[in-house]
Amino acid sequence: MSQDNLFPQETNFSPENEIPGIRAKIIGIGGAGLSLVDGLRFDNFQSVEHLAVDVDSRALSDSIAGEKLAFGRRHTRGMGTGGEHTLARKAMEEEKDVIRKKLEGVDLVFLLAGLGGGTGGGAAPVIARLAREAGALVFAFTPLPFSWEKSRHSMAEECLADLRKFANAVVPLPNDSLLQMGGADATALECFAEAGRNVSKGISAICSLVFRRGMIDVDFVHLRKAFNRRAGRTLFGYGEGDGEDAIRQAVRELLLCPMLHLPDVSKAADALLILITGGTGMGMAALQQVSSEIREEFKAGEHIVFGAHVDENMGNRVQITVLGATDLEAGIPTADVAPTAKEVIAVLPKSKVAHTSKLAKEKKGSKLKTVPAAPRNKKKDDLDQNTFEFMEAENQRGIFGDLPSRNIYAGEDLDVPAYLRRGVKISI
Amino acid sequence: MSKIIGAVEIGTSKAKALIGEVAENGSLNVVGMASRPNEGMRKGEIVDFRKAAAAVHSALEDAEKMSGTTVDEVYLAQTGSHLKGHMLRGSASVASSDNRVDVADLQRAAEEAKRRKPDDGRTYVHHVRTPILLDGRIVQDPVGMFGSKVDLGYWSIDGDDQAIKQALHVISNYSLEVKDLILSSIASSTMMAGPDLRRAGTLVIDMGAGVTDFALYRQGFVACTGVIPVGGDHVTGDLSMGLRVLEPYAEKLKIEHGKAISDPMDEGEDVWIIGNKTIGDRSIPRKAITDVIHVRIAELFEILSKELEGLLDPDELKGGILLTGGASLLPGVEQIASKILGFTARRASFPTGIDSELAQPENATVLGLLHYGLEDHGLPGRKKEEVEAGFLGKFRKMVGLGAQS
Repeated sequence: MSQDNLFPQETNFSPENEIPGIRAKIIGIGGAGLSLVDGLRFDNFQSVEHLAVDVDSRALSDSIAGEKLAFGRRHTRGMGTGGEHTLARKAMEEEKDVIRKKLEGVDLVFLLAGLGGGTGGGAAPVIARLAREAGALVFAFTPLPFSWEKSRHSMAEECLADLRKFANAVVPLPNDSLLQMGGADATALECFAEAGRNVSKGISAICSLVFRRGMIDVDFVHLRKAFNRRAGRTLFGYGEGDGEDAIRQAVRELLLCPMLHLPDVSKAADALLILITGGTGMGMAALQQVSSEIREEFKAGEHIVFGAHVDENMGNRVQITVLGATDLEAGIPTADVAPTAKEVIAVLPKSKVAHTSKLAKEKKGSKLKTVPAAPRNKKKDDLDQNTFEFMEAENQRGIFGDLPSRNIYAGEDLDVPAYLRRGVKISI
Repeated sequence: MSKIIGAVEIGTSKAKALIGEVAENGSLNVVGMASRPNEGMRKGEIVDFRKAAAAVHSALEDAEKMSGTTVDEVYLAQTGSHLKGHMLRGSASVASSDNRVDVADLQRAAEEAKRRKPDDGRTYVHHVRTPILLDGRIVQDPVGMFGSKVDLGYWSIDGDDQAIKQALHVISNYSLEVKDLILSSIASSTMMAGPDLRRAGTLVIDMGAGVTDFALYRQGFVACTGVIPVGGDHVTGDLSMGLRVLEPYAEKLKIEHGKAISDPMDEGEDVWIIGNKTIGDRSIPRKAITDVIHVRIAELFEILSKELEGLLDPDELKGGILLTGGASLLPGVEQIASKILGFTARRASFPTGIDSELAQPENATVLGLLHYGLEDHGLPGRKKEEVEAGFLGKFRKMVGLGAQS
């Protein structure tokens, strides 16, 4: 009996067949970032390092990350920033060289930082910039404060816009919406924990894509090609199923994932990463069908990375993770990236004519009619147009997402669902 | 001879056209009415000119066909969050040596009140006259009375030039003239709150698809109006996100099962999204639907209560609160409104004599346009025609439609 079976974990890939040469680093910044990093559980990736960064040396000493970096000692004498993100930014700029050193030879960086606080909000954009300069692919997962925390919230939005300038994909995790996670009686803490677990599973899925060999294999190069450009809006979702109809159940759960139904989340993806992990019983036909359904659901453009991994320890369980990005930064000719999509489609013959359920068709039809994905279509028509400005200013706000101006009243955007802003949990 | 007049409301969910015949005795007969779904508008503002124009034109065409006649000019409703109201006041001392108030005195006061120009890029949409004071006393018609000073005020609503021009162009593209712009909230209050209610003091809240318009009446005159850019579409959007269903299903759930306050009977009961239990159909607890709607509607009335802070006086609001508009059909809105605003709210009913097919809350504005257009809103002592020509002539110049006049 292998050790893995004695200690079942979320991801049970055996470390032996890990692809060498690529290094990933998970960086937690500030209080929320640190606790997210500590919550991650996949020590079995040898090439994934954990780095905790904070100004608060006491918080740092409690972290279990492998590497730690305290900065800004000169400014804060080892205490917190007290919500001053300009202070954190300044301090981080001074430590540039140290960070550069830490990022040397790293290909993939996951940034976990709460943007409502000073440290995360100030330092994350700086680290993202340095990581991009060092040639790494940067994915950021950023908890955002509740919208009723008005000043913190508006500060976090500023930092988010800043971070989007540098990271390849930023997945915002607004506290408002995280309350919608979990079951009906889940407490706020349980909801946050659930959201943390999903992030952890997402990161681990991306890591397994990069580091393990799979049934339908894609590697870091594919990922890099799909997400090479800076993205405006992103989507991130996770679903899991078990039993006989595991794969369908996983798709259902994925489509209901609260993180896909946030005002800030894009409804369509120009670049889409679909990762399916299942047990040995996972059938090829089901995989094809699911992938084409998911691609239709997110109206995936040409940059699709589809990976499927078989993990014998999964039993009958199936996990699906999607990460998508829209409003990709223009500038890189499409031709450079096209082979990716071709290759992926080659792996999935006939996927275009694969049977889709009646619902999926209905959904697609009605969705296309009623949810005008105007900015995205515009983007497609005019690929060379620099979309930089609108990707900063504009957010997807549900059905009002295509409108140019926000509907601000007393500091709140009235187009964002009231139940999200008021923290009312809706259990469905 | 009878006269034909038209009214157009370019609403967020529907464009409506109404054609009325005014008989010689002044009674109004609705002879044509049509409405068309409008996809060119969001939150009370035109975002796609061609779609909005197409909806309005086909509504007008149908209304004309139905009435068997054509219209030359229409009253046009205006709404949108770009509209802002201000109180403008003017006064004049009585000029004649015998201290008798003359029409000229009133005109001077009116001119002084309207002297303030709107900011750059903005245009006056509507001036609504408030009571005339003669030496500090409210009088209906001071002409011929003795006194030394008349004061009068206008509740003046100005709006964004571009937005108003767009709405006017929708009509002029159909080779029609806009006889007058009328604020949507005032149009619907004219319909739903009779003169008695307006005198007693009443607040009319018109909950549309894109925006909620309100008008507060005191002593028979408008004291305040406003537009809140939240409407029925927001409820649909919230449901779509909260229940994770597509927008058309959210709209269907809202109409079929939507409630604004929770009902103990619904506890533990589920409804189906599509209803035919096909693959992908899923059941949703009624409570979840109610919860989503409740938060949105409660917030809307909280914003209203903030906007009207200090204006709601029990002695001045004996008529209570009247709710109208399509979104007011949600069960429970009147309870929430009463609770949050602190006054009894009820769904407004149409005066008798309106065809039951027309007497729907969503038609309040367009019907109100005709009725408001018929009433005399000029200064006492002046003929109605004269006043309107003056106002509109000036307005046309402002918005660059001078060519026709």
